[in-house]
Parts: sequence; C-alpha cells; structure tokens
Amino acid sequence: MRRAHLLGLGFLSPALVIIVMLFLVPVLLTVMFSFTNMSTATGISGGAYEINSASLRKLADAGAQESFLDALGQEAFVVDDAGITAVAAAYGEQFANEIGSQMLGERFTSRRDLERAFRKLKSRPRSTRDIKKAADLFKRSVLNVRFETADGLVGAVTGNGIAMTPDQQELLTRTIYTGWSWTTDNFALMTQIPYIWRVAGNTVMYVVLTLSVSVGLGLFLAITTFYLPSLPAASFRAIWFLPRILPNVIFVLMWKWLAWDTGFISSFLANFGVAPRNWMLDTDIHAWVFIVLINGMVGASLGMILFGSAIKAIPQPMLYASEVDGASRWQQIRYIILPQLRWPIMFICAYSTLSLMTSFEYILLSTDGGPGGATEVWSLMAFHTALDNYAGNLQYGLGAAMALVLVIVGILASLVYLRIFNFNDLVAKPRIEQ
Amino acid sequence: MMSSNFRAWPLFLLLTVLSLPLVTMYVYLFVDTVTDTTAGSLIPDRFTLQHWRFLWEAPETGRVSIWTVTLNTFVFAICTTLVNVSASVTAGYALSRLNMPFKRFFLGGILTLHAFPTITLIISIFLILQMIGLYNTLIGVILVKTALELPFGIWIMKGFFDNVPWEIEMAGLQDGASRFTVWWKLVLPQVQPGIAALAVFVFLSAWSEFILPQVLAPSGSAQVLSTYLSNLIFDDVKPDFNMFKSVGVFYALPVIVIYLIFNRQLMNIYGGGTKG
Amino acid sequence: MRISIENFTKSFGDTTVIEDMSLEIGDGEMLALLGPSGCGKSTTLFAICGIHRMNAGRLLFGDADVTEVSSQKRNVGVVFQNYALYPHMNVYENIAFPLKVRKESRAEIDRKVQEIAGLVHIGELLRRRPMQLSGGQQQRVALARALIRKPDILLLDEPLANLDAKLRLEMRSEIRRIQLATGITAVLVTHDQVEAMSMCDRIALMDKGRIVQLSTPKDMYENPSSDFVAGFLGNPPIAFLEGAAANGGFRLANSQVTLPVPSGIDMPGEGAPMRFGVRPEFFQPDNPLKVSGKVSFVETQGREELYDVTLENGAVLRSIQSQSAGFRLGEEVSWGIAQDRILAFGPDGNRL
Repeated sequence: MRRAHLLGLGFLSPALVIIVMLFLVPVLLTVMFSFTNMSTATGISGGAYEINSASLRKLADAGAQESFLDALGQEAFVVDDAGITAVAAAYGEQFANEIGSQMLGERFTSRRDLERAFRKLKSRPRSTRDIKKAADLFKRSVLNVRFETADGLVGAVTGNGIAMTPDQQELLTRTIYTGWSWTTDNFALMTQIPYIWRVAGNTVMYVVLTLSVSVGLGLFLAITTFYLPSLPAASFRAIWFLPRILPNVIFVLMWKWLAWDTGFISSFLANFGVAPRNWMLDTDIHAWVFIVLINGMVGASLGMILFGSAIKAIPQPMLYASEVDGASRWQQIRYIILPQLRWPIMFICAYSTLSLMTSFEYILLSTDGGPGGATEVWSLMAFHTALDNYAGNLQYGLGAAMALVLVIVGILASLVYLRIFNFNDLVAKPRIEQ
Repeated sequence: MMSSNFRAWPLFLLLTVLSLPLVTMYVYLFVDTVTDTTAGSLIPDRFTLQHWRFLWEAPETGRVSIWTVTLNTFVFAICTTLVNVSASVTAGYALSRLNMPFKRFFLGGILTLHAFPTITLIISIFLILQMIGLYNTLIGVILVKTALELPFGIWIMKGFFDNVPWEIEMAGLQDGASRFTVWWKLVLPQVQPGIAALAVFVFLSAWSEFILPQVLAPSGSAQVLSTYLSNLIFDDVKPDFNMFKSVGVFYALPVIVIYLIFNRQLMNIYGGGTKG
Repeated sequence: MRISIENFTKSFGDTTVIEDMSLEIGDGEMLALLGPSGCGKSTTLFAICGIHRMNAGRLLFGDADVTEVSSQKRNVGVVFQNYALYPHMNVYENIAFPLKVRKESRAEIDRKVQEIAGLVHIGELLRRRPMQLSGGQQQRVALARALIRKPDILLLDEPLANLDAKLRLEMRSEIRRIQLATGITAVLVTHDQVEAMSMCDRIALMDKGRIVQLSTPKDMYENPSSDFVAGFLGNPPIAFLEGAAANGGFRLANSQVTLPVPSGIDMPGEGAPMRFGVRPEFFQPDNPLKVSGKVSFVETQGREELYDVTLENGAVLRSIQSQSAGFRLGEEVSWGIAQDRILAFGPDGNRL
C-alpha cells in the first residue's frame, strides 16, 4: 500500500471507528435483537434456571405430565456431605461421623423415614426436636434454587432421584429459563397486534399530510418572501425559521399552551361561550391537525430555506426578461421559478419521507400517540413497545423487530436516493497522485 | 427581489395573517415568563419574577438543580461538537482529496448513512449502552449523538473541501510542504467558515436533542435541559405554563443568541443539504 | 538543469492522454509546450513537477532519475494558471512559505524575500493580501514564491491566461527578463502561439498527446512540418488551398487553374490530393504569381489592413497589407503569391 493510501485511511479512521461502533453495530444488533424475546422480564444479559411455583405453572401450560410436575415439586431427604458437615457443626462430630459411616448416599422421601433411621444411631441427640432439626438439614429440593446452567439444573433434578425422559428434560430447560432466547416469533406476533394496520395507515397518512404541508408552505414562504422588500422578507424568514432551530421540547410546549384547557384557544373562545377543553386531545381530528401543523411547520422552515436559496440562484436578468415579455407574477412563478425548484423539491420529498416515517419526537411530546392511539405511528409504536409503555414490561425484541421494518425501508430508500442523486458525479478522482 | 412591476402589499398582508399564530406563540412565550394573567383573560396584568424562581430556589426533592442540568447540557453539546467536528474535518478531507482504497465504498456508505434515519436504531443503542455500562452516563449520550451526526458532518465538510482549489494544494506540495502540512496550514484556513458553520449546527442539534438523553440517560445526574423541561411538563398534575415557559426561555436563550450571531452561516448549512 | 523526458506515457483510467513521449530541455533554456486544449501539455507539466505519476517512462533532472521522487523533493517551482496564492496569508507570508516549511531562520527568510521581491518589483506590496492585488501583481507574487527557494526548474502553466491584453504584453517580457536574469530552466505551457513565440527559445508543439514539431519559433513558423503546425502558428492565420497534383504542378480543386509548385519538393503521384498553405504576408498585389478573385472581407486593423479574397472555385486566400490601398468589398482583384514561400502539404498533411 502506498503512503498516500495510509494517509487517507489515517484521516478517515477516527470517523470510521465511531461510525462502525455506534452506527453499523446498532444496525446489525437491531437485526439480532429482533430475533430474540428480550424484555424487561428476561433481562438483557443471560438468564438462569429456577423451578418455582410460577415456572411449574408455566410447565403445566406447556403440557408437562402431572407425575413429572409432582416429582419436581416434592421434597427429598438425601444424606450427603453438605448435610453431614452441617450436622457436625450443630450436633457434634460423633453424630456426624456415625451418619457418614452408616447412611451416606441414602435417600428418603419423607422426613419421618429419615428420623426413624436416625433413631437407630447411637450418638443421636436425645430430644425429638433435635432429631427433627437434624433431619431438616438433609432436606433437598430443586424448588426455588437458581442454577446458572441447564446442566446444573439437570444434575440437581436427577440427583434428587427424579428420572426424566430426554423430552421432559428439553421441555424443562426451555420452559423455566428466565433469560432471553432466540426466536422468530416476533414477526408473527407483530402481525397479530390488533391495531397494527391502523398504525401503518396512520404512518402513511402522517407522512403524506406532513410532507404536503411542509412542501406547500415552504414553497409559499420562499416565493412570497422573495417578492417582498428585504426588511419584511428577513423578518418573515426569521419568524418561520425559528421552528427549525428551537428545541423541539419548547416548540411543542408553545403548542400545548395554545391548546390547553386553560390555554390560548380556550380562553379566546370562552368569550364566545365555547366551553374550555384540551383542543389538542379532545378529538382524533384535532389531534391530527396539531400533529400535522407542528411537524409541517418544522418541515416548512427547512423547505423555505432550501427553496429560497434555489430561487436566489436564478439569474436576475431572466426574471426581468420574463417581466418585459409580459409575464404576470403567477406566470413568472409558474414558468420561471417553479421549474428551477424541481431538484430541491425532489430532495426535500426524498429526505423528508424517510425522516418523517421514522421520527416520532414531536408526536411523542405532543399527543404521545393519543387520544386512544389515534396518532400512533409505526416508529412511535416501536418506541412504546421497547422503551416506554405503561404496562412496564418493555419488549425489546418485539420493538427491535418493529424498528427493523423501518431500518430495512431506510436502507432501501437510501440506496434508491444514491441512484437518483447521481452518486458517480460525487466521486471525483484526486488530482494529486502521490 | 424588488420589481416595480408587482405590488408587494397583498403578499405582505397574506404572510402577516399566516404568521399570526406563530407570532402569538412567540410573544406569549416571552411575556408569560414575567407576568401573571387573571384566569380566563388573555391580557397579562401583573409583572412578576416568580416564574423564574427555579433559578435561585433549592430544587424540590427528587429534582436536580437547574444549574447542574445546564452544565450537563453544555458539556453534552460542547463535547459532541468537538468530537464531531474533529472527526468530520479529517474524514471529509480524506474523502474529498486523498487517495485511498475503497474510496467509492466509503463515500457511498457515508451518503447512505446520511440519508438513513438514525432514530430507528435507538432500541439497539439502548441495549448496547446497557451492556457496555455506558447507560445513564453523559459520555454514552455524547458518543451516540456524535456518531449519529457524523455522516452529515463528514458530508458537509467534504463539500467545503471540494470547493478549495486544487492548485492551492499543488502549490503547497511544490513549495515543499508535506501532504499533512498542506492540509493543516493551507487547506484548513480556507474552510474555516465551513468548520464554524458545522460547529454551530452540531452544537444546536445537540443542545436541542431530546430523545437520546431521554432514553439513554434518564436519571437525574445526567439530565439535560430538554429532558428536565419535558419531565417538568409530564410530571405536573396542574400545569404551570408560566413556569414551563420560563424554563423554556432559559433553555432557548443560547439558541436565540447563536441564531442572531450566526444567522447567515445557519441558513447556509441548513440549506446545504441536510436532513429534514 | 537539463530535463529529459523518456518514453513518457500517461493515462487516466482507460483514456491514454500521452503515449511514449520523449523530450529534452537544455540547461537554462526556456521551452514552450504549445497546443490546443486537451493536447496533453498540462499533463506533461504536472508529470514534470510530480503532481501526476508517470504510467511509464523516465524523468531525469540533470543525471538524476526523479521519476519516483515526490513533488516536495524535486525542487521545481510552479506558477499556476490562477496563481494559487494562499488567500489567508499576505504577500510576504506567501513568498516565505516555501522557506518556512524548510525551517529556515527568520533572518534568512527575510533577506531572501526582500531580494526576490526586488527582482519581481513587488517590494511595496508585501503586507497586502492576495485579494487586494491586481492580476499582474498576483502573477509577480506567484513568480516570486516559485523562485524564492532557487528551484532547478521553473514551470509556468498558462501564466498569462488570466490577464487583460495590456498586462499580458507587459508580463510576457517580465517573465522572460526574470528567467534570463536567474538563468533557470523553464517550461511554459500555453495555448497562445504569440506567447510561445515571443517568450521561448524553443517550442514543442503538441497535438493529441504527441509532440508534432520541436524547433525554434522562427524555424517553426517558416518551416512547419505539417499543415497542423502551419495552421496553429501565425496571426492572422495561414490560408489553405485544396487541390491535386497535375502535370508537375498544383491544380486547384473545382477549377482549371494550375499553380507551379515551390522548388525542391517531392511531388506526390499524379492526381494525389495536395494542400497549399499561403501566409497573408505572402499574398500581395505586386507578387508575380497572380490569382484572381473578389474581395469578400475587409478588416481595418489600424496600421494594417486584412483582406479575404474568394477565388472563383470558392477557396479563400488572406492578405495583410500595410499601405492603405483602399480596396473595396466586392472589388475584383488579381494579386500574386510569393512562389518560394508557398508551403505545400501532401495527402497525409505532412510537408512535402
């Protein structure tokens, strides 16, 4: 490799590292996560195996035999080294040694049997209560014990004398695992969500309406300010540029205030006898109007600037010529200005479609998908499912699957845009060849 | 454009009517922070500084002081700007001017990512930060924000470098300077306006960022102004809009100052091919 | 320093711009690379200074092979077409830059800058920014910057293209003066034949990546090796007559008129197509070898007058005359060609 190549790669590498770590890896992991059942319940690191009343119920649901469940639930008394050590500590070496030498490895299904066996020993404690307690030290159960691995669990279960068929063993380890596991169910689950098609429809409606407002209003602003004297033009541009750079929390706050039941619209309409209400959330239509206006104005800000600079690039004599040729203002706009804006309009449409489809900040802050899911869009649904819902069980896997749909659309659209916007023109050969 | 052939006042009127809702909101945003209004009225009737008391009063239990949050926001925005601009400046130059293998691939990748809606990745980023232990830290949010803005920054910087005449670099080489010296001493000074514009853009973008801190660093100690304000709004049963607006104006002040100073550069960079 | 280019080939992607070119430039010589745009002259210049790598061939400065040496180490000064002054530095800093990257001492830099500024007459401009300079002044600064570290070779890429007519005249002699004063080997890339002829010791005329003729300006003007060279040099340009060899003479196309050929040329076979080139100064009223036609164009250039004469077969001859004879448009004239000065070209365009 030539030195120049190293220099180029060296210059690129900091950016490359950051992008790979926090951009490409997330894309790949979105794919990975969407094939898991990760949720708050499973946690995101590994899980464990534990038989308890809940997992026994799950096993029953999964179709385990009654006898197998009973066996798992039962206690057993096993004379093992751990028990003997405990006895030594509580009742002296002598008793412990005697148990060790005569009974090691024996197994009893009830405490009474074990007590009876203890009574035959010479060095047993005198009181019945102590014998009971000593017997308790040998109580062994797989119930409520955490096992880190499946082998540990199986070992413990068989150690308790419960025989399992391979099928039962497989069923047991799969069902009672508390961590996440691989699954392809997310996509099926997704299609079973009752409101999923409504959300998809909302998304399309949201993109189309917002984009129309953005482009229409943006064009209108760019063209009208173009025809105004410079001072009013600059003032209007400033007014309409602010939505783009004001932090979204503040911008939405202003709208919320406008729509609140003690806010501007309510107070204003009170003069005409209209009862105060929350104008943003009282009906579905109102919610949509606000969503589209809020997002549309932000988009129009950008459109105004892009279109404005494109109009400014039109040579002045061309406009004068059209006026000399007798064009009215409308004709000038229609035949001179609009044709020059074809590319910027296409550009805005392309980029905004993609970003509107996937962005949800303004909706989250204003209606949060309400009222009653009327303004829930796909990306917000993914966000709610995985990161923020009232039920409290965040379903990372399912949410990632929902996001994956958008990721795939995003990648495809980006590739299409590369084509449209003539990628080859952008890759100029370096003119210094060393 | 002023042309005597067309009258301006009908447009002026139309725009004024259209802008009225926005202007009303702006005006009340500021006025309400220093006045009180009798319920049911639209006209404020008392001057007060009560709504700004969050600046000097001790925070309620469970809340962080506004000054800590402001400091966090500055740290977040400035670090993001620094890292992003440095990486963009080097990578943009490499893609604009230097020879390297797979250049087409890198350029296509950056352009694809530039168009790519980053917010879809938030779920997996959330999980990644949890796994590597950067969840609930400012560093994590800074890195993520930097990465997500990086394709845009690189693309913009590449555009600025593309406009520097090749002859300047050639002359530098002939004068005996190394490729690095040429970049550092001759090319970078030419793109200074571009660097400034990008820095302002990234700073504003980070300053305004809401979703990333909300999801990736929700706890009090790493809170920034956007999440602070939104928590304030969501937590309150009986909303005190005057106070929200005061916090909002406090939060928006740097944005407005920057807007007033860098108006031209901002228009330029927002107009120069950015995300919607 | 002598420059030798040996079998130089350069291609960009699939297009070969220069193929197997060889050229030798003598020590202290000023050579013009002249040709129409796209002929490969700038590519050659960029190869000499090392901005471009050669795909094949060798480049020698003196006896040293510098084919693989980087630009920085070649010690070549270049003046670019748009001067490429560093806009963020003032004139002094611009000129001092080559010394600064060599880490020369402040005092040394200052002495050299003052010296070179004196040579190119910009002593009073040192504190200005390039933006505040006129085109000619920028040109001088660019020259000073290229010369300050005493390069072995000076390359000039269309140095006068961005100047207005009057300044161009002035800088033409200035550059030549400075080149002679420093004795540096110089290569001038230009598409303007007047520049090439007036400034240089020799001209290499290039077309489609090849050198078609290499000789002194005078020789190239008087003895062009092909009709391309003849057509490229001379203002007003040479006029061509199409025709064919007939009976040891030259029969004009679509005409019965036959002209004698200049002495001492190899005639092509009977009926083979030929071209006659006649320079305007050799088509005059009082020359013996008369042809008749109608004045179809008159242009007064002040001191001289330029006429186009359309012959009966439609061909056009050009004449430049110093005395104002006052011929009118449409006037029938019968003027003569200087027979020995006719340039005869064969079917392939080469000089016969």
